[in-house]
Amino acid sequence: MTSPVIENVRRSLGRSAKAALDVRPGIRDPRLAESADSEEQRFLDEIKKLSGVGGRLSPTELDSALRTLVTEGNVRKATVWETSHLRQLGVTEILNSLGVELVSPNADKHEMAQCDLGITEADYLLPETGTLVMRSSAEKPRAVSLLPRIHLAIVRSEMLRADMHQVFAEAKNSNYLVFITGPSRTADIELTVTLGVHGPKNLYVWMLSE
Amino acid sequence: MRLMSETPTYIGFEEYSEHVPASIPSAVQQATTRFVSGRAARVAEVPEWEDLRQIGSDIRLHTIENMDVYLTQLEEKVLAAGGHVHWAQTADEANRIVLEIANAHDVKLAVKSKSMATEEIGLNHVLEAAGIQAIETDLGEYIIQLAGTGPSHIIVPAVHLKKEEIAAIFSEKLDMNAPADPVELARIAREVLREKFLNAEMGISGGNFLIAETGTLVMVTNEGNGRMCTTMPDLHVAVVGIDKVIPDWESLTVFLRLLARSATGQKLSTYTQFITGPRREAGEFGPKEFHLVLLDNGRSNVLKDPVGREVFKCIRCGACANVCPVYKNVGGFAYGWFISGPIGAILAPQMLGTQTARELPYASTLCGACADVCPVKIPIPTILRHLRRRVAQGDEFAEATLPASIRVTVGLASIALAQNWIYRLGTRVLPALMSIFKRGGWIPRAPYPLSRWTKARPLPPFTANFRGWWKNVRSADSKDARR
Repeated sequence: MTSPVIENVRRSLGRSAKAALDVRPGIRDPRLAESADSEEQRFLDEIKKLSGVGGRLSPTELDSALRTLVTEGNVRKATVWETSHLRQLGVTEILNSLGVELVSPNADKHEMAQCDLGITEADYLLPETGTLVMRSSAEKPRAVSLLPRIHLAIVRSEMLRADMHQVFAEAKNSNYLVFITGPSRTADIELTVTLGVHGPKNLYVWMLSE
Repeated sequence: MRLMSETPTYIGFEEYSEHVPASIPSAVQQATTRFVSGRAARVAEVPEWEDLRQIGSDIRLHTIENMDVYLTQLEEKVLAAGGHVHWAQTADEANRIVLEIANAHDVKLAVKSKSMATEEIGLNHVLEAAGIQAIETDLGEYIIQLAGTGPSHIIVPAVHLKKEEIAAIFSEKLDMNAPADPVELARIAREVLREKFLNAEMGISGGNFLIAETGTLVMVTNEGNGRMCTTMPDLHVAVVGIDKVIPDWESLTVFLRLLARSATGQKLSTYTQFITGPRREAGEFGPKEFHLVLLDNGRSNVLKDPVGREVFKCIRCGACANVCPVYKNVGGFAYGWFISGPIGAILAPQMLGTQTARELPYASTLCGACADVCPVKIPIPTILRHLRRRVAQGDEFAEATLPASIRVTVGLASIALAQNWIYRLGTRVLPALMSIFKRGGWIPRAPYPLSRWTKARPLPPFTANFRGWWKNVRSADSKDARR
């Protein structure tokens, strides 16, 4: 049964129930990607402009980089996406060796909220805006990039896409998708920009060169 | 100060704007100045900006003209994704629907992400009356909820409050000793609201767009409270106006590029979420149940008017308010409803009627700055004039609502201006009359209706007499010619 709201809309527009849809006006052509290097550089530059910390990293440097992050960020508890790639990199083992307590990414939300650090990958990256795009699943839970005060995304250049068109073409059938463009921010009190009001205060994006 | 979230029966813009505290224009202008320069910088980076605006406008207009088809598709897709769809013809119906969902899940605490639609229907009052605590979680909205006032700006609703005032509100309402420091106040709010996010049984949100193609709710936020409200509780209810529907994801690429640049001067807001139904797997977080309440509340009626309905192209960026000389001097309260500025001045008279909001089409200088910045090219000045005509003369959609006193005055003026001898008489009588009220070259106080002017500033007396001047010039000219 058609809702009375739709019927009222139809009547106001003077359309019949069988009225065909007009052709939607076209949009501009999608952006074309530049060279891989310049796309990667652009992405990292944007992260920096957003008050995030972006950098390139080889897998062998991961250990020391995590050590620095854990020490400087005073990280005691962490939660990590259980993806095959992060497992291959041995992220949880490194954290264990640093004495960080690990919480399952599927743990109860109250427990997740105790974490200082959440580590994710990303499904896509947008160079123009410095955006991380993430789908959601049991192995890639949404809360990991949201509840901890520090969010680290370990990403690879093959995740770069030229623009939103390409991302949407590949991901529009996901039940959940989030664009993360910098750390959580507000300017609600006297227009003073404050980071980390509800989401993470610190955003790190490490681009792995392999 | 009045609470905004009740449907007004009369919006007295003139009266409200007279009672705007002096602190409001200066605070509002700090915000608008910031947003105007931020927008200009971001827009300058996009060479195809004008092209994008045109495409955005075309797609919104197309969606309005085919709204029935897109709403039908939207419903189908939300249901297919495992969500629930509710249609609300009125504000009361929408409130009842949300309340029923809450009661069915035994909800005691609800967390809310900023939503104009729930402001429009006054949902918070209804929930509170039913014993359900509904907490605003956008920092600005949270502050004004604690303060018990309305929003002064669409993007930064608490911009009229100084940090000392906010500290005092926090100290009183949260029973603590809050310092007057923005960073510290934000930290306190984070802690207090974190508890609410984790313990609420229901999350309530609005929505920036609804994608018909896949039944997807799109939400744009900066703080992360929108993500919290739609990720932590097991139940998510979104209340969204039917005008928010867009055809497909490809169209969305246009609107996402236009929205944040126009609103806050960002390329993209921090978090943009695309929610299609409830969660699929237990471990991924997100609600078990997703309800979409589609709100009509007078919108379908507005669609009858091909001129006025362009108001629904709006993507709620607030750019029109930021450049409006009237808004910048009165702030959000004076508009008397959930939406202020030029867009409010064309929306309220259409949704609430030109009886309730007959003053709002006149809350403008018709300077046209709003139309120049609108990312979807809403012809706001054209619609303002269209609605002024409706108020003054009536049209096929509504009868004239101008009070008799003004109609008689204007009628008399039009006779006087059309009759040469009355006009000539007036140019002699008026200066004589005015001289009675003259004090030191100005008229500091005049009788009604001129008193409305002199309340704010003195009136200069009419001293010029064009006819006399013209006569002198002519005779001087002819003397010159003879010489």
